[in-house]
Amino acid sequence: MDCSKELTGMTVVVTGATSGMGRAMAMNMAQRGAHVIGVGRSQSRCAELKRDVLKADPAARITVLVADLASQSQVLLLAEDIRGAALRPSGLVGWVGDGRIDALVNNAASVYNWYATTEDGYEAQFAVNHLAPFVLTHELLPLLELSPTGRVISISSASHFGATMHWPDVMYRKHYSCLMAYKQSKLANVLFVMELNRRLAQHSHVRAYAVDPGLVNTEIGQKGTSGIENWVWRKRRTTGVSPEQGAATALFLATTPALAQADAAYWKDSHPAQPSKAAQDSVEAARLWAYSERLCGMTWGAGSACCQQGDPMGSPLRGG
Amino acid sequence: MQGYVLITGATGGLGRAFAIECASRGWNLFLTDLSEQALLALSTGIQRMYGVTTRYCPCDLTDAEARKSLWQRITQLGLSFHGLINVAGLDHEGRFFERRIDDLQTILRVNIEATVEMTWRALQFREPGETFRIITVSSLAAFYPMPVKAVYAASKRFLLDWSLALRHELRDSDASVTVLCPAGMRTNKACIQAIAAQGFMGQITTLDVGVIAARTLDSALAGRAVYIPGIVNQIMRVLSSFFPTALVTEVIGNRWDKNTPYHGHTGGVRWTAAKS
Ligand SMILES: NC(=O)c1ccc[n+]([C@@H]2O[C@H](COP(=O)([O-])OP(=O)(O)OC[C@H]3O[C@@H](n4cnc5c(N)ncnc54)[C@H](OP(=O)(O)O)[C@@H]3O)[C@@H](O)[C@H]2O)c1
Repeated sequence: MDCSKELTGMTVVVTGATSGMGRAMAMNMAQRGAHVIGVGRSQSRCAELKRDVLKADPAARITVLVADLASQSQVLLLAEDIRGAALRPSGLVGWVGDGRIDALVNNAASVYNWYATTEDGYEAQFAVNHLAPFVLTHELLPLLELSPTGRVISISSASHFGATMHWPDVMYRKHYSCLMAYKQSKLANVLFVMELNRRLAQHSHVRAYAVDPGLVNTEIGQKGTSGIENWVWRKRRTTGVSPEQGAATALFLATTPALAQADAAYWKDSHPAQPSKAAQDSVEAARLWAYSERLCGMTWGAGSACCQQGDPMGSPLRGG
Repeated sequence: MQGYVLITGATGGLGRAFAIECASRGWNLFLTDLSEQALLALSTGIQRMYGVTTRYCPCDLTDAEARKSLWQRITQLGLSFHGLINVAGLDHEGRFFERRIDDLQTILRVNIEATVEMTWRALQFREPGETFRIITVSSLAAFYPMPVKAVYAASKRFLLDWSLALRHELRDSDASVTVLCPAGMRTNKACIQAIAAQGFMGQITTLDVGVIAARTLDSALAGRAVYIPGIVNQIMRVLSSFFPTALVTEVIGNRWDKNTPYHGHTGGVRWTAAKS
């Protein structure tokens, strides 16, 4: 095994590693020696990622895991699989992980131009783009704590500007708008990072960062859209930078040993930047946090969420 | 209202939308569908969002025995209902003579046999003192004979006619029946692709399931007999009624013919045509 690479010994998790920026990040960090745990929803695209990583470097350490992040139960199972992979990277002979994770990159996201619900009954963009990273981060936090530089990196977007939380109908069930639901989910990414940092500051060295990757030429807006929205996303992407360039800031945050401005929460072009005013509203952040805890059936600081699933015949939970 | 709304086919796209819409109005739910795991996920999510009571029991509605145990369970739990939403229904694509007879029978069993039985039984479990609302999901296909979907469309026609008759019978017993007749809905991959393939026409004839569920419930509460989502669909439905059924069938059949390749069948007539 080649131990000389700069990221050797690091373990990073990248969600949505099967296309676009996530794929670029996974390829990049695997080639620099990190053990990459890449998450995708498609078995075949996961296998393809693994094949391509190993083609570029047969000694690369790559684990791929399949999970549909739209499903709360699958996110919990995924966390379990990640814990296993961080301890025992499969097929990586002669190398045993210590179970720690140095960086979790919450990158996966999707765009739908119709109102779609997940199996849990939640609107799909809110579930995939916000609730999934909320749960996954909670579940993996103990492993991030094991790293001296544990970092949570959430790929947000400049689209969060102009958005506010649509509290009367967070799921946009009544008047669905692809763009508004997407913008809200990207605002939620920043609010999540803000509140997480506030909570971590008290007792943990783990830090969270939100990233604006700029406009990037990927297929994100093409996968769940049709008609005019599909056309707009297609036109728009052609003016974007390559996925490799789009991935640069997240890679910088994931792999730089000592960050100069480690307390800056929002980053663009590998430098701290200002998120929108709405994204800095701590009351909104706390409200979103409480709402997310309720929808995910868990309380941060109270251990793993897996023990708190609803019971079979559905006794009523409190709500309101 | 202490009672429940019973929803069949609850974990599919439209079923979920109905369940969510009912819960948002504060109604308790009893959900059924095939998969226990899917019912658990949905029921948990709905409780978390709306704080209503949700119960569920998996059931294969094609199986008379399974239906029997479902109702035993409901009896045991001592539930009563103020609403029933018949969402469960299915289709298997393809021409009549290319399909397996078992598949055709399953369509009849779910769409007709199970719906009739569920409705009959639910009426025995009415919540005292409450208006009882029945919503049955038919289809825009109910209005036309549909080549390539012959059995499916006819089963939906059955639901439409049966519901309208039942509605009349229940007139004086504080119960209403409303039939939902939607065009395509983006509820699964196949439907999404089919709608996308129709291009502009697909766009303008398709409404989001959340909106459809909400408006259907509004229609039911207003006591309306039939709800067709989408102004374009409503216009098409009215226009088509001015033409003879045979002509409408011809037009629909030609459209499907273009989009449906022959796959071979037991008779052997068209199979050769498709190969050439
Ligand atoms: N592209 C831009 O201009 C832009 C701008 C600002 C921010 N962003 C953000 O950047 C991030 C990456 O986007 P991208 O442009 O690289 O998009 P992308 O190429 O579509 O990649 C998204 C990744 O997420 C995965 N994914 C989607 N839904 C999933 C689910 N339910 N379960 C599991 N995995 C799922 C996708 O899997 P498949 O490979 O199977 O599709 C894919 O690997 C997103 O958070 C996006 O919001 C993008």
